[in-house]
Amino acid sequence: MEPDVSIETSSMIRAAVLPIGTIPTPLFRDYASMLNRHQTVSLSSISSFYTEHQKSPFAHQPWDAGSLRFKFMLGGSPPSPWEDFQSNRKILAVIGICHCPSSPDLGSVAQQFSNACKGYSSSLVQRCFAFCPGDSQLEDESHKGSNLVLFPPADRQTQEFHLQTMVQDIAASLLMEFEKWALQAESGGTILKTPLDSQASLSSEEVIKAKKRRLGRAQKTIGDYCLLAGSPVDANAHYSTALELARLTGDFFWYAGAMEGSVCALLIDRMGQKDAVLEEEVKYRYNSVILHYRKSFIQENAQRVSPLSFELEATLKLARFLCRRELSKDVVELLTAAADGAKSLIDASDRLILYVEIARLFGALGYHRKAAFFSRQVAQLYLQQDNKFAAISAMQVLAMTTKAYRVQSRSSIEHNISDDAGPTHTDGGKMHHHSIVSLFESQWSTLQMVVLREILLSAVRAGDPLAAWSAAARLLRSYYPLITPAGQNGLASALANSAERLPSGTRSADPALPFIRLHSFPLHSSQMDIIRRDTAREDWWAGAAPSGPFIYTPFSKGESNHSSKQELIWVAGEPVQVLVELANPCGFELMVDSIYLSVYSGNFDAFPITVNLPPNSSKVITLSGIPTKEGPISIPGCIVHCFGVISEHCFKDVDNLLIGAAQGLVLSDPFRSCGSVKLKNLSFPPISVVPPLPLLVSHVVGGDGAIILYEGEIRDVWIRLANAGTVPVEQAHISLSGKNQDSVMSVAYETLKSALPLKPGGEVTMPVTLKAWQLGLMDPDTAAGKQVKDGSSPMLFLHYSGPMANSGDLQNESAPPPGRRLVIPLNVCVLQGLSFVKARMLSMEIPAHVDGTYPKLVQVESGDVEEVDGLEKQTDRFMKIDPYRGSWGLRFLELELSNPTDIVFETSVSVDVENSNSNKRPSDFKCGEFSYPKTRIDRDYTARVLIPLEHFKLPVLDGSFLVKGSQMNGTTSGRSSSFSERNSMAEPNASIKNLISRIKVRWQSGRNSSGELNIKDAIQAALQTSVMDVLLPDPLTFGFRLAKSSVDHTKKLDSPKNSDVQDNSPLSRGSIIAHDMTPMEVLVRNNTKEMIRISLSITCRDVAGENCIEGDKATVLWEGVLSAITLKVPPLQEIKHSFSLYFLIPGEYTMLAAAVIDDANEVLRARARTNSSDEPIFCRGPPFHVRVNGTA
Amino acid sequence: MGSTACFVMVSKNDIPIYEAEVGIVPKKEDAAHQHQFILHAALDIVQDLAWTTSAMFLKAIDRFNDLVVSVYVTAVLCASFFQEVHELYIKTLLNPLYLPGSRITSSHFDTKVRALARKYL
Repeated sequence: MEPDVSIETSSMIRAAVLPIGTIPTPLFRDYASMLNRHQTVSLSSISSFYTEHQKSPFAHQPWDAGSLRFKFMLGGSPPSPWEDFQSNRKILAVIGICHCPSSPDLGSVAQQFSNACKGYSSSLVQRCFAFCPGDSQLEDESHKGSNLVLFPPADRQTQEFHLQTMVQDIAASLLMEFEKWALQAESGGTILKTPLDSQASLSSEEVIKAKKRRLGRAQKTIGDYCLLAGSPVDANAHYSTALELARLTGDFFWYAGAMEGSVCALLIDRMGQKDAVLEEEVKYRYNSVILHYRKSFIQENAQRVSPLSFELEATLKLARFLCRRELSKDVVELLTAAADGAKSLIDASDRLILYVEIARLFGALGYHRKAAFFSRQVAQLYLQQDNKFAAISAMQVLAMTTKAYRVQSRSSIEHNISDDAGPTHTDGGKMHHHSIVSLFESQWSTLQMVVLREILLSAVRAGDPLAAWSAAARLLRSYYPLITPAGQNGLASALANSAERLPSGTRSADPALPFIRLHSFPLHSSQMDIIRRDTAREDWWAGAAPSGPFIYTPFSKGESNHSSKQELIWVAGEPVQVLVELANPCGFELMVDSIYLSVYSGNFDAFPITVNLPPNSSKVITLSGIPTKEGPISIPGCIVHCFGVISEHCFKDVDNLLIGAAQGLVLSDPFRSCGSVKLKNLSFPPISVVPPLPLLVSHVVGGDGAIILYEGEIRDVWIRLANAGTVPVEQAHISLSGKNQDSVMSVAYETLKSALPLKPGGEVTMPVTLKAWQLGLMDPDTAAGKQVKDGSSPMLFLHYSGPMANSGDLQNESAPPPGRRLVIPLNVCVLQGLSFVKARMLSMEIPAHVDGTYPKLVQVESGDVEEVDGLEKQTDRFMKIDPYRGSWGLRFLELELSNPTDIVFETSVSVDVENSNSNKRPSDFKCGEFSYPKTRIDRDYTARVLIPLEHFKLPVLDGSFLVKGSQMNGTTSGRSSSFSERNSMAEPNASIKNLISRIKVRWQSGRNSSGELNIKDAIQAALQTSVMDVLLPDPLTFGFRLAKSSVDHTKKLDSPKNSDVQDNSPLSRGSIIAHDMTPMEVLVRNNTKEMIRISLSITCRDVAGENCIEGDKATVLWEGVLSAITLKVPPLQEIKHSFSLYFLIPGEYTMLAAAVIDDANEVLRARARTNSSDEPIFCRGPPFHVRVNGTA
Repeated sequence: MGSTACFVMVSKNDIPIYEAEVGIVPKKEDAAHQHQFILHAALDIVQDLAWTTSAMFLKAIDRFNDLVVSVYVTAVLCASFFQEVHELYIKTLLNPLYLPGSRITSSHFDTKVRALARKYL
């Protein structure tokens, strides 16, 4: 059988193309390909070379439209025993190709050519084409007379033209030879035989039979020559005669041959035009051809020769003719029938050709599985021949089946990968089920394994170690679950053996083991967060989420489009790490010689590492590298050097595999079978590399451990920042985050600012003042001291960035390099400290003595509430005369504190004093604070701390209390006084707050700890009820004194300083004697800004509390008016009312003054806490003691 | 060859979801593969033929050497053997845990198919 046969084959003139002399194979192929372009030579083009010597037997030669067809047989072919039967099997021409530069002696070339031609006795024309002759060769005459044709050196086009001419010449010569032959044959005399004809001496009967048949056979052969000569009409005429004769003589074989020829003539005549009628005709005639070939089967010589191959060839020819999708059913039937014939073929190579042709035809029909099946049959036939070339052929044929069996080598589908890399990447791993299934289409694992095993076997035999390696790798990687451990070991050694025969550094497109998937990106330390910079804003970090290690953030989850997928930013020059997981699901130990990230963008240096994977194990490893240049980076997978060969492992493939495993489409999940946990499929996010950024590294001076503080403790923490990057820090901004932010009292931002730009390697130390927060009452657990990791500590966010753009960059074009965020957690561990138990007000009033001095001095105008007689008794500092009441009073806030800790606390109370008149006499006052003796509280003890409430009194009770208040707290000012209830009540609250904020209870423990108690709420609660008394003066102040010093006193009012000194001396005090008229004065002072009309009355009581002025038993006589004294007191003024008393009995008396205010205004009502406007407002002065000396 | 047979169920997308060598299992592993290779190749023909005929049972649509391929095409997937296996397959499909198109790994299914093969083939 012959390969590549078709119906038209019968019309082709075979020409052997032989290399003559020494000629490099590529050159020979090149020349032959030039020749191959002239397979069809039109009759019209050869007419100039053609000479009609005698009348042509081809009467109907179509000179205008017809052509001769050549079939160039490279390297020639052995003569066929069937060439009498089918003339197209004869080699009718021999063309030699000689390359002159390598064959200098043309004479010997001519000799060699004529020797070569001797093998082709059937050849009618011989030519030897000698290309590129040298000058000397052109002049060489020695080959004259031979068939050598020199092609003068010229350009390719000219050469081709020459060649065309020469082929036309050959065609013309052949045509003339055919004519000669046809004329000769017609005259009779040629004996045509086939191997089918009995070789034994013919019996007489057979001789007669043969003679009868001879004529028909001759006609058939002439028909063949007519076809070769390009004259189908003539051919048809001869074939018709031949058919008739063959039918009559029962020469079925030749009958079939003539029929085949007639079909060919028919097709040539139609010049390739096909229609349904023609197809039917061809089908009909060929079925007859096949039938007659079958009939010609002769049992007796079936062992030696059989017409079967002709039958099968005819079948294939018809199949090829019909080979169209619409006629697939017919073609399949023909091919199935042909395949059935295979086992009856005697010659193995015939079977090979048959299967090859069947496979090709199925392939052409689009039946790839059928084609693959027969290709595999071909490969098996090759493999039965035990030689290297057959093995190579087997390997190549099997390689063609891999597509149908879906076991392609990656190298053969490289373009497909790049095609579908795009969409799957954008899919972000969200593939539809349908497309997942399609990934695993046609996975007939049994078949795939068989095919791969055969490829491996043939590659080993063919001595192609790379193909063997690749097949073994595919087999092991895809089908390890189906392979026994012994088989796995065998494959591993096959890999190793193949690798030994490969040069080191060989790459294979197909990965073997291990399986590699992307595990995760290690958490960026929060020290390295990268923040996109928004150039439009001053606070460029605002609004940008930290690039962070998290690819999916809950915030971006809602957005459907994948553009929201976080981009990963790497910094040039800073090492990065990627975690990948390797799995070795096989039963042998796997040595990965090196593995590193594969990057094509050329801006990444990957660091290889070596890994050893025990049998059935998985391992998460860290692959690292350094981005070198800015730009995008894509990392499709890893480059692995394993089993002696380098291959690339794509993450996507494993991802698909895992999806398939999850869907039950793949045999096994290699990671799960190694005991690894299931991971969410992670695909590589787009990565971009930015130019180098500064990198600040922080640490807390004195250790990065938790800072242990007691509640309220205040401490400075020093944070050292160092620039570990290669770019200076030019901008920096600190913000607070996290819980308990107010515990950071101050951050020395200025220190940082002044250190900018911080050069690479530069350092700056920055103090941060912390104040420990109160432990909540809710969490007694944390109070017990185990609150290190509850995240309640505040964090400092330090946003910083380098220069805006690198020099030379177009600032407008590219986004500025991003900034960074450094998170400095302030690990504060708060321990319970002093705890507050309760607070309460203590107050006490001690009456003053009536003597020559007026007990108080008030600078009303200056608003000064400073105690002026504080010098009087140093030992009794807390005993103060209330300047407004005129009595001695004590008012304390008592705090009860307990110390549950195991250290000792010392508390001290201080009061900030804001001097509203400090501008006036600053030197006289202790500006800032008052401090009081410290109180020590031992462990497990409770102690009380007294806070004197003084310095808080307002000087004037009036409607412009608002104005006064604003002076004190400095926040509200300029508001006109309105007397609405609301405002007058709101204002005290502000004042209370102000008051409370000035009281500070500090504590100290040991040498280093100090802090402040947070007791504001407690104080406020304690003061709430009596705040009026604490803060506000009474509207009227009453005072008594002896009248004799009244003149002096009026002077003293103007110069209080002098009076202090003089009046406070005890010597100046006068004494009262019984039985003496004692002139006295009552002083009434108006503390408001309105005129007050009062009705004043004065009483005197003895020690028993009896009124001793009125009644029957009055012991004190008096002169003047003592009751219902109507007075008008001007605002902020005092008036005096004089009277005299005469004490009858020495002893202790108490003077009391009281007044009823007429027409009280709202301020007074508010102060008196009355609501009704009718109610009289009664003011009572404090009692004054009078000691009366003398004898009764 | 005797009564050797190979039964394969193929889902759409050309994935074999169930395979069994029924009857006398060939001694040589090669032959077993050969069965599958033939069945795989026959799918080309089935694919074309299924569109041209309404019959579900396509008898002897393909052959190679002595091996003949018969096919039972279901809407989603001897005659009585195929029918009963089809019923079995429908039951499997009703299993909510079975993903259509994936391999059938149920041993129950396997036992039943083999029992049916003994009965009919």
